[in-house]
Amino acid sequence: MSYTPLWCKTHFSFLEGASSPEELIEAAGRHGLTELAVTDRDGVYGVVEAHLAARDRGVRLITGAQVTAAADVPDAPPASKARSPSPADPGPAARANDAPATISSKPVFRPGDSTVVLLAADRSGYANLCRLLTAGRLRSPKGESRVSWREVAGHAEGLVALWGGETSLLAAAGPDPDEAADVLREAFGDRLYALAARHHRDLEVSQERRLRDRAARYGLQIVAAHEVLYHTPSRRPLQDVLTCIRHGIDLPSAGTRIKPNAEHALKDAGAFATLFADDPDAVARTREIADRCAFALTELRYRYPLERLPEGTTSSAWLRTLTFAGAAERYGGRVPPEVAVQLDRELAIIGDLDYGGYFLTMHEIVQYCRAHGILCQGRGSAANSAVCYCLGITAVNPVRTDLLFERFLSRERAEPPDIDLDVQHNRREEVIQWIYETHGRDRAAMVANIIRYRFRSAVRDAGKALGLPLVALDRVAKLVWHEDAITSKLLCDAGLVPARPLHQHLVRLAAEMQDLPRHLSIHPGGFLLGHEPVSQLVPIENATMPGRTVIQWDKDSVEGIGLFKVDVLALGALSQLDIGFRLLEQDGVRTSDGRALSMATMPEGDRETYEMMSRADTIGVFQVESRAQMSMLPRLRPKTFDDLVVQISIVRPGPIVGGMVHPYLRRRAGVEPVEYPHPSLEPVLAKTLGVPIFQEQVIRIAMVAADYTPGEADQLRRDMAAWRRSGRLERHHDRLVSAMTAKGVVHEMAERVFNQIRGFGEYGFPMSHASSFALIAYASGYLKCHHHPEFTCGLLNAQPMGFYAPSTIVDDAKRHGVEVRPIDVTVSGWDCTLEPSASEPRPPERAAASPLSNAVRMGLRYVKGLAEDDGRRLVDVRTAEPFRSLDDLIRRTGLDAGSLVELAASGAFEALGVDRRTALWDARALARRRDIVLPVQVREPAPLFDGLSASEEIAWDYRASAHSTRGHPLSPMRAALREAGLPDARAVLAMRDGARVRYAGVVICRQTPGTASGVTFMTLEDESGFVNLVVWPAVMDEFARLVRTAVFLGVTGRIQRQHEIVHVIAREFWRPRLDAPRVPDVTSRNFR
Amino acid sequence: MERLACAEIPALPLQLLLRGHPEWRRHPSAVVAEDLPQSPVLWVNAQARDGGVVPGLRYGSALAIVPDLRAAAVAPADIIRAVDAVTGRLRRFSPDIEPAQEEPGVFWLDASGLQHLHASLDRWAEGIRSDLARAGYDAVVVVGFTRFGTYAAARVARGVRVFADPDEERAAARRVLLRDLRVPPEMLDALGRLGVRTVDELLRLPAGGLLERFGAAAARLHRQASGDLWSPLAPRPAIEPVHRHLILDAPEADAQRLLFIVKHILHPLLARLASRGQALAALELRLRAGKEWSAHVIRPAAPTLDAVRLADLVRLRLETARVDAGAAPPRNAGVTEVSVECAAAPASPEQLALLAEHSARDLEAGTRAIDRLRARYGDDGVVCAVLRDGHLPEARFGWVPVTHVSAPRPRRLETQSLVRRIFARPVPLHMPADLRPATMKLKPAAAESAVAGPFIVSGGWWAVPPREDGVREAHRTYYFMEGAQGELWWAFYDQARRRWYLHGRVE
Repeated sequence: MSYTPLWCKTHFSFLEGASSPEELIEAAGRHGLTELAVTDRDGVYGVVEAHLAARDRGVRLITGAQVTAAADVPDAPPASKARSPSPADPGPAARANDAPATISSKPVFRPGDSTVVLLAADRSGYANLCRLLTAGRLRSPKGESRVSWREVAGHAEGLVALWGGETSLLAAAGPDPDEAADVLREAFGDRLYALAARHHRDLEVSQERRLRDRAARYGLQIVAAHEVLYHTPSRRPLQDVLTCIRHGIDLPSAGTRIKPNAEHALKDAGAFATLFADDPDAVARTREIADRCAFALTELRYRYPLERLPEGTTSSAWLRTLTFAGAAERYGGRVPPEVAVQLDRELAIIGDLDYGGYFLTMHEIVQYCRAHGILCQGRGSAANSAVCYCLGITAVNPVRTDLLFERFLSRERAEPPDIDLDVQHNRREEVIQWIYETHGRDRAAMVANIIRYRFRSAVRDAGKALGLPLVALDRVAKLVWHEDAITSKLLCDAGLVPARPLHQHLVRLAAEMQDLPRHLSIHPGGFLLGHEPVSQLVPIENATMPGRTVIQWDKDSVEGIGLFKVDVLALGALSQLDIGFRLLEQDGVRTSDGRALSMATMPEGDRETYEMMSRADTIGVFQVESRAQMSMLPRLRPKTFDDLVVQISIVRPGPIVGGMVHPYLRRRAGVEPVEYPHPSLEPVLAKTLGVPIFQEQVIRIAMVAADYTPGEADQLRRDMAAWRRSGRLERHHDRLVSAMTAKGVVHEMAERVFNQIRGFGEYGFPMSHASSFALIAYASGYLKCHHHPEFTCGLLNAQPMGFYAPSTIVDDAKRHGVEVRPIDVTVSGWDCTLEPSASEPRPPERAAASPLSNAVRMGLRYVKGLAEDDGRRLVDVRTAEPFRSLDDLIRRTGLDAGSLVELAASGAFEALGVDRRTALWDARALARRRDIVLPVQVREPAPLFDGLSASEEIAWDYRASAHSTRGHPLSPMRAALREAGLPDARAVLAMRDGARVRYAGVVICRQTPGTASGVTFMTLEDESGFVNLVVWPAVMDEFARLVRTAVFLGVTGRIQRQHEIVHVIAREFWRPRLDAPRVPDVTSRNFR
Repeated sequence: MERLACAEIPALPLQLLLRGHPEWRRHPSAVVAEDLPQSPVLWVNAQARDGGVVPGLRYGSALAIVPDLRAAAVAPADIIRAVDAVTGRLRRFSPDIEPAQEEPGVFWLDASGLQHLHASLDRWAEGIRSDLARAGYDAVVVVGFTRFGTYAAARVARGVRVFADPDEERAAARRVLLRDLRVPPEMLDALGRLGVRTVDELLRLPAGGLLERFGAAAARLHRQASGDLWSPLAPRPAIEPVHRHLILDAPEADAQRLLFIVKHILHPLLARLASRGQALAALELRLRAGKEWSAHVIRPAAPTLDAVRLADLVRLRLETARVDAGAAPPRNAGVTEVSVECAAAPASPEQLALLAEHSARDLEAGTRAIDRLRARYGDDGVVCAVLRDGHLPEARFGWVPVTHVSAPRPRRLETQSLVRRIFARPVPLHMPADLRPATMKLKPAAAESAVAGPFIVSGGWWAVPPREDGVREAHRTYYFMEGAQGELWWAFYDQARRRWYLHGRVE
C-alpha cells in the first residue's frame, strides 16, 4: 500500500531538518512515492526548491508548514485588515528586535506551545497559510513564530489541518484541549485530522492512546504519519549535531533534546505500512489527504502594482510613451531609425510578456533618485535593453555597443527580467524607505538572504557540538580559510589527530554541512513588490534591522518561481562621484559647452584619462585599482571605452581559468594573428579578437558551435551561476566539447572554452555588466586625471569603499601634487573639504580647471573615536562663533574627555596655539572643570613636555587618524634606509630585469586569489610609490608568520620586468632592523 | 636604619606552568586566562615574545602568529598555593614577610638587622635567591630601604642587588621605565603620549595634576615613587596549624585506648579552634605503627565543635580501619605515634545553640546517622538516586552521595502505574540472535498479544571508542514481553553485541 509523507521538514527548518528539499524529493522518487508534503517549521522557506526538484523528478509537491500555536498569544485582527507597520513605526515585534545583530534561529518552544501541520488544499489555502505565518512571525522575536488557535481557525479556508505529534495538545498529557478542539473543528470541519505519529518510541504508546481517545471524542479521523527530518538514516548524526547547535549545547550533554533513534528518515511504502500495520485506514488516509491538496506553486500569479498609471492608459501604452519621450531626450530630439526599430521590438516583447509594470516601477525609482539628487545607474543584463537606456535606468547605449537584448529578456524564456540598480551607498536607505512608503509595507518586502554554512562556520559549530576544544576549532577554522578543505595536515597543525574517530566526525560533518542553511538574513537590496499584499505570496517576517521586513524566500527562490524583484544595491563609487561632481559644481566648473559636469556630460574618450590608466596610475579608480588590474593596464593599454570594458572583464576567473588572457594580449599587441576557432564564430568573437572574454560570448559559442537551443543555452547560464553549489556544470562538458570538436574546433580550444565556462561559474562578467561598470570607471578616472583634489575629497568622504586605506589615498594624492591639509578644529568640517590652494591660486578663467587649484582639508570624520554627532556639533558651534581658545572650545562644545583626547592627539588643536602634548594635558583637566559654574583658577606648575619629532608626528597621525598629511611613515627613516643600502620604490622600479634587490616598505595589501594556485601578491609602499611582490607558495610557507603579521617588511628577491610592469619575485623576507623609530601601524587591506 | 628587601619571582604563573610542563621550556609558551580562543594571553616566555606574542593578545590570534605556541591557564588556587609556599620558605630568612596582594610573585621582607646573622645582606639576599632556585623559581632579590624603591629595582634587576644608601636606591628607581612596573595599560599609554616613560619623568609632573587628569591610581603611583606614600610592612601572620603530635610511651594496639588518646588530643584542639571563632571542618588522623604511617580523613557533614560526635566518628573509622587490612594500624607492634590535624572553617552561631528546641522529626539526627555511616564506609557510602536527562534507561538516573537528610516532599500520584524495575546490569539471555519477538512462544496461544514493541533506542555514535565517562554507541531494540505466568519482562536486542538481554521486569 502506497502512502504520502505529510510531515516532512527540510533543512529550511533551520537547525532541525538535515536534508535538502532536493534530497527528500529524490529519495521520495527512489521509494516510488508519487507525492510528498514539505512542512517546514513556521515557514515555506524551502517550497520553491522543493517545487523545482519535484517538477524535475515527477513527484507532486504538497505545500504546507508546521505551525506553532500557543494559548497565550493575543488574537490579531484578520490579516487582510491588519495595519501594517509603517516605516516610522515598524511595530512592537520589530521594535523588540532592534538590538541583536545576528539572527538567532533557535526556536524557544515555551510550555503551552503546540504544533499543527497545515497543508494548502488550494490557492486560497496557500494565501491563508502565508498570512497566518506572517502574523505569527511579525509579532515574534527573530527566529520565532506564534499564532493563537483562533488565528489558525481564522485562516482555515483552503487548508487541511493535521493535529498531532509529540508537541501537540491532542497527544499531550494533562487536561483535554476542548477549547482548541472546538475552535478547530468549527473552522476546519472534515479537513481536521488527528495525526498519529510513530517513531518506535515507548512514550508514543501512551501519547497515541490519548490522541485516539480524544480524536474519537471530537469525531476526528486518524491519519498516519512520521516526522521526516532527513532523507536517509545516515543523516541522523547531522540532525543530532544541528539540534545541539540550536540549543547551544554539546552532544554529551544533549540528553533527550536529541532524538532517541534514527527513525526520522523518509520511509518507503512497505516500511510505513509495517509501522501502521494495525491501522491500514490511517495509512490510506494519507492518500486521501494528498488528493485534497491540489494546490501547486505554479498557480501563483503575480501582478505588478498598477495603481499609479494615468487615467485611461495601460501599462504597455504608458511605458511606450515614457520610452519614446526618454529616447527623444537621449538622442537630442531625433531618435535614430535603428534605435526606434529596436525600441519597438523590445516593447513588443515586454508587452507580450506583460512585464510593462516592472519597467514602470524601475522608472519610478530612477525618477525618484534623479528628483532627489541621488546618483543611480542600472547594470547587469538590463544594460542590454534600449528601453532601459531610454527610461534612464541604464547609461549604456545597447544599440551602439551591439548588446544582445535576448540575454535580458526573451519570449522563449519568459522569465522576469532582472534589473540591478546601483545607488550611491550613502543615500540608499532613502530610496528603500521611499519604496516602502510608496507601495506600503504589505506590498513591498525585502528579499531574504539565506545564510549558509561554509567550512569555517561548519567547523566551529560542529566542533562545539562534538565537544572539541574551542582553541583547536578556532585554529582549524582559521587554517581552513586558506585551505578550503579539511586535510590531515590541517588537523595536525591545529593539534587534532586525524585518526581519532571524533576528529573524523568533525571532518565528515563539516563537509555535510556545506551550504546547509543556517539562518535567514536580508538581501542587500532586493525587493519583492506586488499589486496584492506580498503576504499572500510568501510569509513576511521581521529583519534584524529596525524598520525592515523580509520575505521567506531568497533571490533564487523568487526567480525560480518566476516572480519579479527589484534590486536596489549600494555602490560607494557612485557616492564618490556624487561628492566629486557637487564639489566641482560649487566651484563653478563647467564643461566646454557650459553644462555642469556629470556622468552624462563629461567628455567622452578623453585621451589623458586613458593614458593615465595605461600607466596604471589608478589608485582609487573604480574597478581598475586592484593589484591585478594595475598589472594588466600597461599591457592592455586601454584607449577606448570598449577597451575599458574588456579591461574590466579580463581580470576575472572566467578568462583567467580559461587561459584567454595571454592570447588576447598577444593578438592585441599584434604578435599573434587573429584567428577564430571556427568560421561560424567570427561574428561572436570579432569584437575580442577571436578570444572569448565575456559570458555572453561563451553562451553564443554553445549555441553556434555546439548547437545549443536558446533554452539549453539559458540552462547553461543558470548552471554556470549555480556551479559551486550544484555541480551541474559538468554535465555540459562532454556535449560541448564533442559538438565543438565535431564542428571543427580544435579539441584544445574546446577544452579551454569549457574551462572558461567553469571560470565564469566562479565569477565572470557579462559584457552588459562590464559596460555599466566601465562607465563609472571612466568617470572616476576622468575625475582623478583632471580634478584630483575633488576626486580625492570624494573618495575620502565615501569611505569605507574601494581597495585602499585612506592613508594610501592621501599619499597618492600628495604624490600627484595635491596639497592635503591636516585636521584642524578651526576649519575642518565633519567631511573632508576643499580649500583654495595657497601655492597655486585658482585661475579666474577656469573652465576645465587646473587640477592643483584646490587643497584637500581632512575632515573630523578621520579622528578615530570621535562620534559623528560630536564632530558635527563642534562644527555648528564654531560656525556660530569661532573658537578663541581650547578652554572656549571645551566649554562651548561640551565634548567629553575621550573625544577631546582624540582630537588633541590628532593635532587638531594646534591652530589654537596648543601643541599636542600640552593639549592632551590641558584637555583632560579642562573637561573636568567645564561644569564648574564659578571657575576656580587652579594654578599649578605647567609641565613642559618634549616636542614631537617628525617621525613621532607621523606616528601620532597614524594612531589618531590612520593617515598622515605630514609625511609617509618611511620618510623620516629614509636616511637610515639609505645607509642600510635599501632603495626606495622609485629606484626599484627603475632596476633592470633580473637584478637582485633588497627593499623595505610598509605592507598595504596582501592578496591570495583562488585562481593564482597559491601565489600571494603583496604591495609594499614607501614615500615614493609602490613595489609589487610575487610570493610563491614555498616562500610563503617559509615566511608566512612574518609576511602575515609585519607592518614594515623587508624583502630580498629579483626584479621581473615585462613591458612596463615591474614585480619583485620574493625569495626571502626579513624584519628591517634600523636605528630609527618604530613604524606606526598602517592598515593593510587583505583579500583572497 | 630600617632595611627592606623585595624578592620577586618574575611571571610566577608562567614559572608555575613551566614547572608543570618542563618540556615546554624549549618552546614558545604562555599563560592564558582561559583555554578559549578569545581569552587574553597573560604571560609569555622569551621565545613566544620573539615570535610576536605579547600579553594582551587573544589566544586565538597568538596561535595564528605562533602555531606551535604552548599555552594553558593557571588556576588561581595554584597561584595562591605557590605564594603561600614561597611565603613559608621566606620565613626562614625573615620573620616578617608581606606577599603583594595584587601581584603574585612579589614579596617584601623585613631585612633589618639580618646582616648580623648572615655576615652581610648580600649573603642573606643570595641565600634567598638560591633557596628559591632550589624550589624551582628564578627570582630577583633587591635589598634597600623603601617598598617602592626595592620593588622598582627588582623589576629590572637580575639576581641580587643591595643598595648601600637610600640615594642610590632612589636614583635607580627613577631610572626605571614605567612599562616595567605594574602600571595599567591605559595609564601607561596616556602617560606615554605625554612623553612620560620613566619614574623620573613621572615625578616631574605635579601630583595634583595627575590626580585630576588620570585619577587616583596615577596619583598613588606618583606618591609611592616620590616617597610621599609610606606604608609600613604588613607582614602576613604566621598561621600555626591546629595540630598535635604525640609519641606514645609504649606501642598501643587497643582501639579503645587509642580512641581515648585521640579524644585527649582532640579536646584542646577544638578549644583552640573555638577561641579563633572556627569549627572543625575535617580531621586528619595519622597513626604510626612500626615504620609505616596510616592516614584517615574524617569530614563531618558540617563544621562542628562537638567533641563527642567527633570521637564517635573517629571510633567508627578506627573500627573500620582495623578490619581493613590495607589500612590497618597496628597488628603486632601497635601504634607508637599519633598525629591529629584539624582543618578549620568559620563557626556558625548554631554551634553554640546547645539549648535549641528540637522538632519531632529530627533531621539533624538523621544527618548525624549519615555522618556515622560515611565515617564507617567512606564518603561515598550513602547515596541517593536523582533523575537525569538521557534516552538509555540506565542514563535516566544516577546516584549522588548524600551528606544531609532533607525533609521529604512527595508528589501526589494521580494514577496508579506499574513499576518498572531496572537491573543493575542487563542479564544476557540465551536466545538465538536472529530470534524475533513475534515468533516467541511466551504466552498460551489463546492470549491476544504477548509482545509490545519494538521501541528503538540508538545513539552515542560520537563515542566510538567508548568515552572515558562511559558513554558508548548503542543500538537497542526493546520489547515488553508477557510470560506464560503473566509476568512482564523487559528485554532488548543489542545490535552491536548481536545478542539479547533482559533489562528488567514490570510489576
